[in-house]
Amino acid sequence: MVQSSVMKQSLVFDQLSCRLQVEGLPDVSIGQSGAALGIITGWNLQWLGRPLLEGRREHLQALMQVVLPYARHLISGIRREFSVAGEPVDIGPHPEGGHRLLLRSSQPDTPPLEMHLDDAELADLVRVLDLLRLDPRIQLPLAIPEPEPLGPRELLERIPLHRRLTAPLGGATVLAVSAALVLLLPPPAVPPAPTPPAPAPQAKPG
Amino acid sequence: MANDISEAANPDRVSRPLPRRGLERLDLMLLCMEALDLNGGEAMVWMSEQLGYGGLFPNRVELWKRRCHNPLRRTCRRGEVPVDETDALIRILCVMADRLYPMLRSLLSSSEPEEVASERWALFQGRLEELVQERMNPRRSGVQKLLDPKDGATQRLQLVQGLSLCAGHGGFERIKASLMDAVA
Repeated sequence: MVQSSVMKQSLVFDQLSCRLQVEGLPDVSIGQSGAALGIITGWNLQWLGRPLLEGRREHLQALMQVVLPYARHLISGIRREFSVAGEPVDIGPHPEGGHRLLLRSSQPDTPPLEMHLDDAELADLVRVLDLLRLDPRIQLPLAIPEPEPLGPRELLERIPLHRRLTAPLGGATVLAVSAALVLLLPPPAVPPAPTPPAPAPQAKPG
Repeated sequence: MANDISEAANPDRVSRPLPRRGLERLDLMLLCMEALDLNGGEAMVWMSEQLGYGGLFPNRVELWKRRCHNPLRRTCRRGEVPVDETDALIRILCVMADRLYPMLRSLLSSSEPEEVASERWALFQGRLEELVQERMNPRRSGVQKLLDPKDGATQRLQLVQGLSLCAGHGGFERIKASLMDAVA
């Protein structure tokens, strides 16, 4: 859906639980016109039953920079915190299940806003962000990390530490117990050294 | 397609075929789609034609043969699947997940009444179990784990969550990167 007033564009992306509205202008300095949106002047994200989120382009980019990699890791079964140093948005697993989205306001004396999202709401958020970044009318670069395959070290994170340590610790324990039992065994009796046979008397000639 | 630019940025990854573990997960996700949609098998063939993959998969047998590279299958095929064919299967998966997104969402939503959510999961689990028992090798530990009431629940939730996050064209890169993961 597009609403335009003179040059100003407003793009709306809807899902069941949220609506993302992005406002901006075509960047005429590089020859953009019509429905193109080369400058984002503001955006807002409406959640059902939650406060309205608003911000500038940097905030939207910060949101995309943590939410999309978080979703990519979830597909591989990895649930961990995502944040970018100095950026106002963090996302991670919520201790009670679901996901915790933390937004820090740039306004002084405003406490951070924490939102508890379930899996369906996270999927809705990812979909509106996908719709935005793939919309051909958005004609400005959005620095979003490329999804990459994960290495063995990162994949090990999805296995709880106690399960990761069970096999090596178990093996080490069995080895230690076996070694102790072997040490408890009495050393085998040393057989007496065989005595050399006495030389046979030699018969004298004559 | 919109992701052609990003694919061009990393030609090495794009040209690598999916590992066996990736083929296994891809087939299981397609199986989940069939469990959610009673006509999923037909829909897959139709979707393949709609997306212009009639040359790669001219009929359902060819589609089935590619899916049989899943090592958990009863009739497992050896060898690698060419990248263009796995890409086509991933795109079919993303479009089907997009079409069935309301069902995926309803399974994941915590705002649904507990009884309704339980019934939905039970229905999905029953259909998936039927399909798994019909097509997969029950002697494989991966199949036994998927059918296990406790361990299988976590895996089924992860499959459904993965499908919800890869629905639509925007999900292609995410799911492909995930299917290319190293073996832990």
